[in-house]
Amino acid sequence: MKKLHDGKGSYLPFVKIDLKMKLTFLLTFVSFIGMFANSGYSQSLSLEVENMTIDNVINKIELTSNYTFVYNTKFVDLQRRVSLKIKDASIYEVLDQMFNGAKPKTSFQVIDTEVFLNEENAIGVNSKTTDNTKKQVIQVTGSIKDANNQPLPGANIVEKGTTNGVTADFDGNFTIDLRDGNATLVISYIGFSPKEVEVKGQTIINIVLQENTADLDEVVVVGYGTQRKSRVVSAVDQIGENAFEGRSSVNTTQALQGQSPSLTIQQRNSEPGAALNMNIRGISTLGNNSPLIVIDGIVGGDINTLNPTDIESVSVLKDAGSAAIYGSRASNGVILITTKKGRKNSAITLQYNGLVGYNSPNFFTQPVAGYENAILRNEAAFNSDATSAIFTSEQIQQFRKNGDEEWFAEEIVKDALQQNHNLSVSGGNENSTYMVSIGYVNQSSNFVGPPKGMERYNYRINLTNEYGRFKFISNLAYSKQKISDHSSSTSTLMVDAFRVPLYYKQVDENGQYLTNDVLQEFNSLGILDAGGFRKYDNDDVFGNLSAEYKLTDDFIVRGVFGGRLNSNTLFARTKRVDFSPKGVYGANRNTNDEQRKSLDLNTQLMLEYSKTVNDRHYLDFLAGVSNENHQDRGIGLFKRFTDPDLGTPITDTEIDDNSYNSNQSSSKNSLNSVFGRASYNFDEKYFLEASFRYDGSSKFKKGLRWGFFPSVSLGYRVSDEQFMQNFKENMGSLKLRASYGILGNQNVGNYQYQTTYFTFQNAYGFNNSGVSGTGYNFANPDIQWERAATLNIGADMDLFENKLTLSLDYFDKVTSDILVPPAVPGVYGTNLPDFNAGKVGNRGWEISATYKHYGELFKHRINVSLGDTQNKVLDFQGEERLNGVEELQLLLREGQPYNSYVGLKRDGIFQSMEEIEGAAVPEGLSVVPGDNRYVDLNQDGVINDDDKFIFGNPFPRYTYGLTYNLSVNNIDFSLFLQGVGKRTMMVRGELVEPFHFNYGATMYVHQLDYWTPQNTDAKYPRLANAGSQSNTNNFRRGSDMYLYDGAYLRLKNVQIGYSLPQKVAENLGMKGYRFYVSGQNLLTLSNIKFVDPELSEFNSNLGPSGANSGRAYPTLAYYGLGIDITF
Amino acid sequence: MRNKYIHIFSRFFGLIILLVSCEELELAPENQFTDLNYWTSSSKAQTVLNTAYSQMHNSTYFFYNEGISDNAYNGRGDTAGAASLAAGIYDPSLTRLQEEWDDRYAGIKSCNLLLENIDRVEDMDDAKRNRMKAEARFIRAFQHFQLMTWFGDIPLVSVDLSLEEAQTLRRTPRAEVLKFVLDELEEIAAILPTKAEYSVQERGKITNGAAIALKARAHLFEGHWQEVVSACESLINTDANGAYALYPSYEGLFLPENEYNSEDILSLQYVPEFRMWGDFFDMAPLSAGARLNALAPTQELVDSYIMLNGKAINETGSTYNEVEPYFNRDPRLTSTIVYHGYDWKEAGGSSRTIYIEPGSSPDNPVDEYAPGSSSTPTGYYTRKYFDPTHRTALASGLNLILFRYADILLMYAEAKNELGEMDATIWDKTIKALRQRAGFTDAPALNFNGSLNQVSLRQIIRNERRVELAMEGLRIFDIRRWHIAEDVLNGWAHGAKFAPASPDGGYIRANFRTFDPNKHYLWPIPRDERLINSNLSQNPGW
Repeated sequence: MKKLHDGKGSYLPFVKIDLKMKLTFLLTFVSFIGMFANSGYSQSLSLEVENMTIDNVINKIELTSNYTFVYNTKFVDLQRRVSLKIKDASIYEVLDQMFNGAKPKTSFQVIDTEVFLNEENAIGVNSKTTDNTKKQVIQVTGSIKDANNQPLPGANIVEKGTTNGVTADFDGNFTIDLRDGNATLVISYIGFSPKEVEVKGQTIINIVLQENTADLDEVVVVGYGTQRKSRVVSAVDQIGENAFEGRSSVNTTQALQGQSPSLTIQQRNSEPGAALNMNIRGISTLGNNSPLIVIDGIVGGDINTLNPTDIESVSVLKDAGSAAIYGSRASNGVILITTKKGRKNSAITLQYNGLVGYNSPNFFTQPVAGYENAILRNEAAFNSDATSAIFTSEQIQQFRKNGDEEWFAEEIVKDALQQNHNLSVSGGNENSTYMVSIGYVNQSSNFVGPPKGMERYNYRINLTNEYGRFKFISNLAYSKQKISDHSSSTSTLMVDAFRVPLYYKQVDENGQYLTNDVLQEFNSLGILDAGGFRKYDNDDVFGNLSAEYKLTDDFIVRGVFGGRLNSNTLFARTKRVDFSPKGVYGANRNTNDEQRKSLDLNTQLMLEYSKTVNDRHYLDFLAGVSNENHQDRGIGLFKRFTDPDLGTPITDTEIDDNSYNSNQSSSKNSLNSVFGRASYNFDEKYFLEASFRYDGSSKFKKGLRWGFFPSVSLGYRVSDEQFMQNFKENMGSLKLRASYGILGNQNVGNYQYQTTYFTFQNAYGFNNSGVSGTGYNFANPDIQWERAATLNIGADMDLFENKLTLSLDYFDKVTSDILVPPAVPGVYGTNLPDFNAGKVGNRGWEISATYKHYGELFKHRINVSLGDTQNKVLDFQGEERLNGVEELQLLLREGQPYNSYVGLKRDGIFQSMEEIEGAAVPEGLSVVPGDNRYVDLNQDGVINDDDKFIFGNPFPRYTYGLTYNLSVNNIDFSLFLQGVGKRTMMVRGELVEPFHFNYGATMYVHQLDYWTPQNTDAKYPRLANAGSQSNTNNFRRGSDMYLYDGAYLRLKNVQIGYSLPQKVAENLGMKGYRFYVSGQNLLTLSNIKFVDPELSEFNSNLGPSGANSGRAYPTLAYYGLGIDITF
Repeated sequence: MRNKYIHIFSRFFGLIILLVSCEELELAPENQFTDLNYWTSSSKAQTVLNTAYSQMHNSTYFFYNEGISDNAYNGRGDTAGAASLAAGIYDPSLTRLQEEWDDRYAGIKSCNLLLENIDRVEDMDDAKRNRMKAEARFIRAFQHFQLMTWFGDIPLVSVDLSLEEAQTLRRTPRAEVLKFVLDELEEIAAILPTKAEYSVQERGKITNGAAIALKARAHLFEGHWQEVVSACESLINTDANGAYALYPSYEGLFLPENEYNSEDILSLQYVPEFRMWGDFFDMAPLSAGARLNALAPTQELVDSYIMLNGKAINETGSTYNEVEPYFNRDPRLTSTIVYHGYDWKEAGGSSRTIYIEPGSSPDNPVDEYAPGSSSTPTGYYTRKYFDPTHRTALASGLNLILFRYADILLMYAEAKNELGEMDATIWDKTIKALRQRAGFTDAPALNFNGSLNQVSLRQIIRNERRVELAMEGLRIFDIRRWHIAEDVLNGWAHGAKFAPASPDGGYIRANFRTFDPNKHYLWPIPRDERLINSNLSQNPGW
């Protein structure tokens, strides 16, 4: 491809070159995340020609390399014949030989891949080089390394004031031909401070670059593209790969906890494989509040099957400015995950990371001693006018003499091994990069019995390929997750074990599992040891293929096709276990199989245009169309009374009528979209950006199907103004930004706009045979989008030479037409699907600050993030809704935060009959001294529904995270704290109520502060049997006694590492070697001592899932040892 | 070479454009019908009706309603609210109230949906259509009757409501609901077939006999004695509405091999393996496979069984002996309640003794009474409806009888007595027949005692009703209509004589109960229901 230009315009390339330099700079950053790769070539050439014209030699070079030639035929003798025999030489060597002896004398310049040829004198347009034209070419070689002696492949080396430049090779080595022995070299590399070196006649120059403390020009991944951090004017938090290193996180969600302000992650359960709740900026809708997950540009991946070590960056899109491009699914925020790619022009890098440790279960609760419990039970019975004691004094003496058995809850758990291994190979040349990784995680369950737990295998291959203006990116990830579980439910096993007093044994000397007066049917140990299993085997293939073509230098067209193929299987068997003296588990001997396959496809076509005008106007446009669709089908085969050994069918085997074919369990949905974004900035000072998405969803009926979601963002780098000169010089940079837009939510079930009828077997029977029934789902034909108007105001600061970076944000979001099931009265007779009703306001702020100080010896980095959100129901069609959660209720009322707890307010404990006389007590109950007293809100002399107070809500406020990294020589240390400043936590069941409903038969140490005539200043009321008036007053009337302060501070992770000195490692044949110890959940500070304060009452949609009780899996503390090796 | 890439690219993009633009947004479920294509066949209409049948009542309400009465005690958990309701320690937030309300209105909706859509089915025989409508109307009337009995005034829902109507509806006066129920039953009794007119495959469907039985019960609850008499007579004096008779064996009446016997007027249908109930898992003796005890008969129920000589245990000359309390008693005691020393029949025909008295068991003490344990809190377990052919976890496919002929006889006796018309003829047809069937042979127990006045006869008939129908979920309704709750649901409910002599003569104090006659005769309208619909008034006292 030759560009012919006439003599008049011969200066043109050089004007262009200046611009090109800037672009190169930009593109280098961009190439870092693998989108473009037109910069920094140092391709070596081999050429063997016999008596060939220059014209043909040029053609040949163009064909076999990426170099293109630009010249004016007038000044270059194209018909001159040359013979060349060159092997593995630089372009300069080739050109030197090609034009050796040419007349007129030809000069050449190489800029990126373009070779400019000219008559030697013509170069003199640039006055500086004119003087030097006669000077001899000198060749300088050298290497570019970082402070740790690691080579920096791809670093740019440019002769100052000229366009002459090369890039360093795989090993950081470079060779540059200079026309001036006194030239100055400018060396730059992403993430490092540029350095200038005067050549002064040296021919070998080794350069060490210092890491740049400012991430000013970091590239931030945004929806359908990337932006330079300095140009981002919406609320985006980017979390880098270091957040995932060295932690024993089994999945990505866990690793993200505490990394970004207002990205709230809560665990519901510590069990291997248990899901975590994820939320961005609090509750703004009444349904599902989970963010949209986008992996490598494809919506619909599973964040929890992703290998955390494959992640390069995670962007959290929080405001309308950044998220509106995801339109109808963005109202809960978006999490964009980008996986690692190989680096161009880099040698093969082999990296191994391994971490082996164990999880140690920890109970926050302890039961009282057995004999003590017997006395307490007698006391409760006595207080309830029982005719006889439960335990005789001889029995109690016997318990005391015998001592305590092991608590069942502790007997069923043990320390368990956890291993994380990762191996990755990456590298690249000038045309392509590769990254291949294998990961293995094995987290054993802490339950005793046959091995249980979670195993995950990850494989990923990320490739990029370029052919001139074309670029292919291909990512393919496979994960296999295998979970082995017991056949029961963890919460049942835990609570059963939790409730048994210490005078019972779980298993006798002969290995017989024992039932007792509390567990009449079976015990947890027997089920865990011999009761069968559930085995999940889930395969997940996730990938995308993207192709990109540069129509012109400014115009790119890109097509993306990707998706996820997910296949989940469950094989389960329940085995019969007989207990002594009675009780049996798994008598049905079930053998069950379930299988579900789902396919998510996403197709996108985009056009991108970027242009810089007059060096000061930067324009970027993006427009695209996409379709996303989902389909799944599943089958289930359930058999009863199968062979006790094999689980295969035998004579009395029956097929359960809950078995289903794939047409009984299938769904489909589809979303068509048009989207776009336009960004403009003037002089990197004033920024304007607008984006939109137009979505059509199969979940809504024709006519209501399409929704439009726009946003606009403004930015202003104040510190670049004249009047801020002083600030800029003394403090640093300051950028203000604001965004406003409309985001949508379509998180509702399929087909809700149509009334549907479904049949099911054995609804009823006639003449002893089952007959089918029909159920129905009523429609809401008018169902449509939920809309959230979102305002965000923020500021970004880089202060004190980028040592301190600070981000502040304030947001205000009003979600209307919220999709929520209406308040359906019982007389209506059935439930209804979601309606567009209600309005919720949600506002909050967040701060994120990073301070770095890299001294000679000590290097510190501290990162703090803190955020708060508060919501308020603005409108619920004038209605209010109270939903009972066990003893309390959750309120949905205008003017109140969503899901505030409602109940009676405790007013101490009645101390005497005199106090009770005339006092308000719950309707129909007679109380005695030692019982709870409640506040009579309306002072009508009776405690009832009219006396209920509104308390706090379970959503965490003031969530914070703190990371501190310190390194001294070869030793590194890091600390990660995470916590919640304010939260109302509901705890109930046996954890609050002694002998809860007679289900629980033991009291716990934390409950001993109960009222007696001698202990009148008690925390809890007196003991009484379930069903008694006192017990009903104290525990069945829900009060703030069930609410606790859920604020906490937790030491999530500590790491101490040591890296071998570079020389030692190299002698061992490695590039780097580090080993470290890591600990997780080592310390928790909170006001509530008898339960893990991190446990959440939310389900995955952040809807209520009931209070915390003794049903939770124990909290795990982790201790591990890890190594990182790089070859 | 580059042209080739361009070629590949253009194809790739072309494919993408094709994929993007062609995706369909008009999707319909493949496993469900929509309103447009559902009402096309009588079998589809039948399955909606089957759903309505299934919503009529459930086994948990059936049994645990006894726990609300003085017959039994729900000592573990608060199953179906029985513990709270019996002890009088509930308020409008009690879950059972909302559930009873929701369940019954859900049942009503299925009926109304069928009634309003069945005419859309084109290919259907009109006789069948009318019969199915009548079945649905029966169920709808039954649901309203149940609601009305518990709550008093309730919204009458005779058409499928819109959401807005449901949110603003007012309570219909009880009298109007009653009128609706009675009018409906009157009309449909004429349409519904007798049990003989149904095929064998249709056994369990609603008959005109069932409609008459429900009508009798509705009148009974109102004290419309004359109407009770005429309704009962249309079943007693003629076979025109179905041939009903007492089944010869009281014990056999509740066994699976005798389902659909001559006494069964309407029963809840269960099917072995496919539609089962499992309440005996928490009612039977633990040694018989129960997990624990959550519902136990009281001493008060046990005491109501008379002696074989026809005398009540506290009557002079009863020969009742506290040391051998279960000796010489009404044979129905043994068919209903498991007591200490009970001779438990196993499925194979063998039998063994149940040991309940503390410390009495020679080997396996699981059934023994121990305070605060998970065995029986009263010293008694339940036998009636125990299914010897039960499956895992005592699950059973045995039908549960809602209306049986014995009930008709008892209603008849009661109404006749209230009308002052009880005589030897009526007595012989009713009480004597029931006692004979139960196994009484002593003449004083069987024969009419002409010296008794109406009040004494009332006591005898009421007691007869209590023991005959014990553990069948009807006692609480009798207590309420007789207005005796403040007497029988106040103070301690007791268990067997396994406790220290003081305070209650050695009988276990099982549960302390309070009943406020000013409010407890009607359940409060559920709290959440009134929060949604402020037009719903509340019952007095709540």
